[in-house]
Amino acid sequence: MAALYFIPHYQAQAANSKLVQWTLIVYAFALILGSISLWSSHARKVQNRAEGWGFSLVTLTSLAAITLLGIWKGVGEGTPVGIIYDNINSPLASTMFALLAFVIASAAFRAFRARSVEATLLLITAIVMMVGRVSIGPLISPHLPAITEWLLDVPNLAAKRAIALGVGLGAVSTALKIILGIEQSYLGRS
Amino acid sequence: MTPALETRWFDPTRLNILVGVLLFTAFLVINLFRARGRRELYVRPIAGLKALDEAIGRATEMGRSVLYVPGLSDMTEVGTFAAITILYRLAQRVAEMGCDIDVPCYDPVVMTVLDGAVREAYSKVGKPDAFRPGCVHYVSAQQMAYVAAVNGYMLRERPAANIYMGSFYAESLLLAETGAMTGAIQIAGTDKVTQLPFFVCACDYTLLGEELFAASAYLGKEPIQLATIIAQDWAKALAAAAVVTALALAALGHNALMAWLGAA
Repeated sequence: MAALYFIPHYQAQAANSKLVQWTLIVYAFALILGSISLWSSHARKVQNRAEGWGFSLVTLTSLAAITLLGIWKGVGEGTPVGIIYDNINSPLASTMFALLAFVIASAAFRAFRARSVEATLLLITAIVMMVGRVSIGPLISPHLPAITEWLLDVPNLAAKRAIALGVGLGAVSTALKIILGIEQSYLGRS
Repeated sequence: MTPALETRWFDPTRLNILVGVLLFTAFLVINLFRARGRRELYVRPIAGLKALDEAIGRATEMGRSVLYVPGLSDMTEVGTFAAITILYRLAQRVAEMGCDIDVPCYDPVVMTVLDGAVREAYSKVGKPDAFRPGCVHYVSAQQMAYVAAVNGYMLRERPAANIYMGSFYAESLLLAETGAMTGAIQIAGTDKVTQLPFFVCACDYTLLGEELFAASAYLGKEPIQLATIIAQDWAKALAAAAVVTALALAALGHNALMAWLGAA
């Protein structure tokens, strides 16, 4: 598949598509293993009355109900599974996502304490960034928006690109280790 | 009219990538030969990896478990492979120290692979009976459902060490901040540049980008594994030299190298 990246020939690309389709078959079987794993780990908790076993009971009931409803009535818009997805699953996911705003505030509070020179620099940069990106920024100083742009485009981008370069090389290194058989722990081998 | 079928056997616009990969492979092969017969190769200490032993030791002393979160990607992401190789080394230390480990999984294929790696790790240190079936388990393939389950686990079970390794997305801060609230020692590593600041804020130690890929070799200490890190450093030096040369040439009005590198 690595070689196919460099070969645009239609026959090679057709072979590539076929290989990708095969991974879907593997995924479908792995999903069965995943469901068994989920069922057995929560069933064990309910059986042992472990802490929070009530949540496990809800998980088991939901898993069984959704599976049976899906087999009986099908999946998609308008089906019981679709209605449950739209009215229970999606709002719950949105609620979890919304918590991000609060955890960003608490993480920022911890990170922006001036304990060292580096942390103080971070604090000053963060204040300039936050003030410069809101409407009041230009009223305080007309230079603030330009300073924030410079911070984003020069030191920030330079650091991001340096890390991205390292990530790219690390990814190639890991891929080559796997292809050459130097790294086999993902196969459960030493 | 049907579009013409592509009949070329090589895409010349990807020549720069091919040259880069071949050069990297050459560096790797050279360093593998250099590593043969040598007992030790020096690699600079990485604080986050040195702290792994401390984290497992702390969990053992407190009689609590180690939580290992392997990211939210599938087997097509190299970050997931890095997470698997790190877990393999980490599980050996966990088995040696007699501590418990819990690995909630987002992808069922990754779960199967991780289960095999952890089993093998316990066998390798001579403690196959200590492996707890179900310690590597599936949670959900939905991002926020996964976060809710793992956060719930952290708050109920209070693991002494939370280790996040692999590819993370919007869930990174939700997980790490909840972990910080429980007072656990937290070590993270990701190849997703956009998530690094969140981990830096909420975790005690963070592996930045390439350190994630070097971690397995670093923990293993085998010369052949360490040789791959040296090859990585050679490639980085070459890339830096190519960037500086391309910039200097561009300043003199010659943009050919810049264009060939794909930056123009």
